[in-house]
Amino acid sequence: MALGKVLSPTAYSTRDNASPGPDAGVLAGKRIGIRVDIIWRAWDWISENWEARLRAEGAEVSYWRSVGRSGAEGEQQARDLAEWLGTIDIAIVGLANCGSCTGWTIRDAITAANTGIPTVAIATKNFEDFAHLLAARGGRSGLRIHVLPYPLNERERDTVEDAANAHYQGLLDVLGAGQSAKRDAA
Amino acid sequence: MSIIPISPARAKAPPVPQPLASRDCGPAGCEVDWLASERVEADLDIEAFTRFSLQQGWGDGLPLIPPTEGRVRQFLADNHRYPDEIIGILPPSNAECTVEKIAVNAVMAGASSAALELIIAAIQSIADTDFELYGVNTTTASVFPAFVVNGPVRHELDIPMAYGCLGGVATQANAIGRAIRLIIRNVGGQVPGESSQTTFGSPARLGGLVVAEWEEKSPWAPLAERRVGVRGDAVTSFGAMGTMNILDTTSQKGDEFLEMIGKSLTYVGNNCYSPAVPFGEVLVGINPICAAIIAETMPDIADVQECLWRHAAVDARFLQALHREQLEAQDRVRADGKVYVTPEPKDLILFVAGGLGGLHAAALHSFGTSLSQTHGIAQIVPAQQAAEYRQQATSPW
Repeated sequence: MALGKVLSPTAYSTRDNASPGPDAGVLAGKRIGIRVDIIWRAWDWISENWEARLRAEGAEVSYWRSVGRSGAEGEQQARDLAEWLGTIDIAIVGLANCGSCTGWTIRDAITAANTGIPTVAIATKNFEDFAHLLAARGGRSGLRIHVLPYPLNERERDTVEDAANAHYQGLLDVLGAGQSAKRDAA
Repeated sequence: MSIIPISPARAKAPPVPQPLASRDCGPAGCEVDWLASERVEADLDIEAFTRFSLQQGWGDGLPLIPPTEGRVRQFLADNHRYPDEIIGILPPSNAECTVEKIAVNAVMAGASSAALELIIAAIQSIADTDFELYGVNTTTASVFPAFVVNGPVRHELDIPMAYGCLGGVATQANAIGRAIRLIIRNVGGQVPGESSQTTFGSPARLGGLVVAEWEEKSPWAPLAERRVGVRGDAVTSFGAMGTMNILDTTSQKGDEFLEMIGKSLTYVGNNCYSPAVPFGEVLVGINPICAAIIAETMPDIADVQECLWRHAAVDARFLQALHREQLEAQDRVRADGKVYVTPEPKDLILFVAGGLGGLHAAALHSFGTSLSQTHGIAQIVPAQQAAEYRQQATSPW
């Protein structure tokens, strides 16, 4: 055995904000933004389902659709996202349902959270741990993440609607807009 | 949505790096201890160190050379960079990739110190935000950065450009490619099953893919010159999903070869047809024999791209309904009822390489949002000359 010292080949970013950010509180009168993409029709369906429920709570809902991430188009996307975030009080960002789209979802969710608004990223079960890992590497280890079943996009609409219904209350809980917020308001 | 053309971000680094001033601190290093990496005690026997590296999460499964301080210092002393220079930020770890980290990983991979500037240019190119390394490193796809090298450095570093150039040639290009892969793993933090969700991966995620253009056999200008006007040493990075071989033993004329290659680019499961990404590119390797025949009737490579592109389309009716509907909703079905593999002919990126047996072309489809990048490789000049260059570059006259 010839022991000696070697130089570590690894590098890390140590920057982190472990805060989940503020609770959403009561939704009535709030402007809620839902970030959708061009990949997952199931996420469009769930967003529509939740939009109706959020409106029933007295909130306004707007959408922003993520498209490309590079080149001139990517620069325009970044500007559009920043502008949209300035028009909402709460951000629901999805869908983390693959590798790169989990990355882009988490990146946009971190961008939203870093503006100071209540933010939740939406991930499917298979990508839950991955989403948390990317949030930590992106400097927001405390990012709120709400989890939907997996597989999801492969399902028929009825099944997806069932999932949307079943996970709506969980969404409110993760956002800090659940029953306790309503009780506090009362 | 409509067809989105590929255009680079406006805020881009110049493709031609400034010349580097010659600097030599000698094998003992400079007076200051520049090396900032953690020192870790390890058994320096190759087999033991390889096992240790796997335990540490540093390794790729192949034997590694222990990056002792002496080896890393020698590697740096052979070059002209200070180790704490930051070359780029690599996602998803978002860690700073310094010259020192490049040197440590290059030593482990067995790369020659002469390859440092090529490796640096390669890392700079993939760290460009337009390359979208975040998506490349995290995706379920098999994508890996492939590199096409231009300029005299091809010969100096023995980068393969002829027989077997996409893999299998015994050359230090393999160690260079492996060094880049180790940097992506150890600095970028790409680990399958953890930070990378790649479903299948690729052999090129182990040893990389570093190929040269056979400029001497090409009837057209070198790739880097065509793309960004860089003459001489340069590297073009491309987010490749894999290598696809295209055989044509029948065609005789240039346009016939291009029709065969163009139609072959259109398998509908390639990422360029995915509604998940708004556009794609294809890197196409033309063998020297075929290139010469094509150039007889198409001396302008823009005509070659145009001809190829016209054949690189599928009738939208060929697609399954759900797929077609999603592309239709994105306005990607054109007026002629076709879906083209790339937005424009220019997005078919051609280079000349391969053995003189001809017959085959190579195609590498892109991941999607990762846009190919071309960067010049820095040249080393005496300090006085570098100072004069910088003065000229900043002079208002």
